[in-house]
Amino acid sequence: MTDEELKNIWKEYDHKLEEAKLLNLQSWALNLRSLEMMQTEKTKSKLNALARFKIFAVVLGVLYVLLLGLLVVANHFRNIYFSVSISMIMLFTIISIITYIYHIVLIHKINYSESITQTQERITILQTSTVNIMRIIWLQLPFHTTWFWSNRMINFNSWQGWLIPFVITFLFVLATIWLYRNIDLKNINKKWFKILFSSTEWTSLEKAKNFLSEIDDFKKEIA
Amino acid sequence: MEKQPVSDTFFKLIDEHKAIIYKICNSYCNNKGDREDLAQEIIYQLWKSADRFKEEYKFSTWMYRVALNVAISFYRKEKRSKEIISFPEHAIDVEDSSHTTKTTEENINLLQHFINELNELDRALMLLYLDEKSYHEIADILGITETNVATKISRVKEKLKQKFLTINQ
Repeated sequence: MTDEELKNIWKEYDHKLEEAKLLNLQSWALNLRSLEMMQTEKTKSKLNALARFKIFAVVLGVLYVLLLGLLVVANHFRNIYFSVSISMIMLFTIISIITYIYHIVLIHKINYSESITQTQERITILQTSTVNIMRIIWLQLPFHTTWFWSNRMINFNSWQGWLIPFVITFLFVLATIWLYRNIDLKNINKKWFKILFSSTEWTSLEKAKNFLSEIDDFKKEIA
Repeated sequence: MEKQPVSDTFFKLIDEHKAIIYKICNSYCNNKGDREDLAQEIIYQLWKSADRFKEEYKFSTWMYRVALNVAISFYRKEKRSKEIISFPEHAIDVEDSSHTTKTTEENINLLQHFINELNELDRALMLLYLDEKSYHEIADILGITETNVATKISRVKEKLKQKFLTINQ
C-alpha cells in the first residue's frame, strides 16, 4: 500500500463524514443542561474539598486551643502578660473554629439543584465570611509579641531592655490595624490581597465561583 | 475571533470543520457514549478558548490543537476503564452510504481500527498527516520538532501499511 492509497482511504472517510448528519454538533454545544451538570460537578468537587480542608483545620484548631488552655492553667496566672496573651490567642482561635464550623455547615447546605444564582450567593457569603474571619484572625498578631513580657522585664531592665519589645509590639499593632482596615473585598484585585489570600481556602472559592460564572456567560451568549 | 463564540460565526466554523471532531472522537473513544461526551467537551473547550484564537492561524490548525489536547487528556483519564474495540465493529457512527463501495467501507473501518490501536500521540500524528497537514503545522500543533514529526510519521505509516498487508494476505 502506498502513501497515496492511505490518504485516499482517509479522503473517502472525510467524504463520508461530510455527508453524515447524525450528530448535531450545535445541539450538543447548546446542551446547557449537560454543561450545567459538568460545571456544577466541578463546583461541588471544589467546595467539598474546601469543606474537608476546613474540617482538618477545625481539628487542628481544637488541639491548638487545648494546648494553649493547658499552658494558661499550668501558669496559674503567675505571669499576667503570658496568661492574657495566650488567652487572647486562644479566644481568636476559638472564634476561627466557630466560623469554620459555620462554613462547613454552609457548604453542606448548598443545594446544587437550586438555581446557579442561589449557589453563587452562598459562595459570596462564604467569601465575605472568609474575609471577615481573616481580619479577626490577624487581630491576635500583637499578642504573639507580648506573651514573654514580665514585670521583671519592665521593672528591672534598663530602658533598652523593654524598649525593643515595646517597639516590636507597637509595629505589630500598627500592622494589625492596617490589615483590619484594608482586608476587604474591595481590595480583592490588589497584589498584597492576592498574596495574603493565595491559599487553597480562597482559591477553591474563586474557582467554584468561576465555574458557575461560565454557565452564566454561556447563558448570556446564547440569549 | 471576537468574544462571541456561540455566535453564528462560531457555529458556522465548527460546522465547516466538524469532520475534525468526528475523526478525533472516533480515534480516541471506543463507545458511542464516550464519543459524544468527548465531542461535547471539545466544543465546550473550543468555545472557552475562542478568544485565544489568533487570526494568523488557520482555524483548522487551532481547532486541531485544542481538540487533540482535550482528546488526549480525555483518553488518559478514561484509559483505565477503556474497552478494546471489537474488530468488525463499525468505527464511525454514520449511516451506510450508497456512495461508498463495500471495499472502501472495509478499508475505512480497517484504517480507523489500526489508528485506534496506536498510542495517543501516534494517533494524533496520523490524523494530522492523513489530513495533509504540513510537518511544520503538525510540529506546531503537537509541540514537537519537525524532525521528530517526520521520523514518527514514517514509522507509524510503515506500521499501518504492514497491518494492511497482513490483512490482505
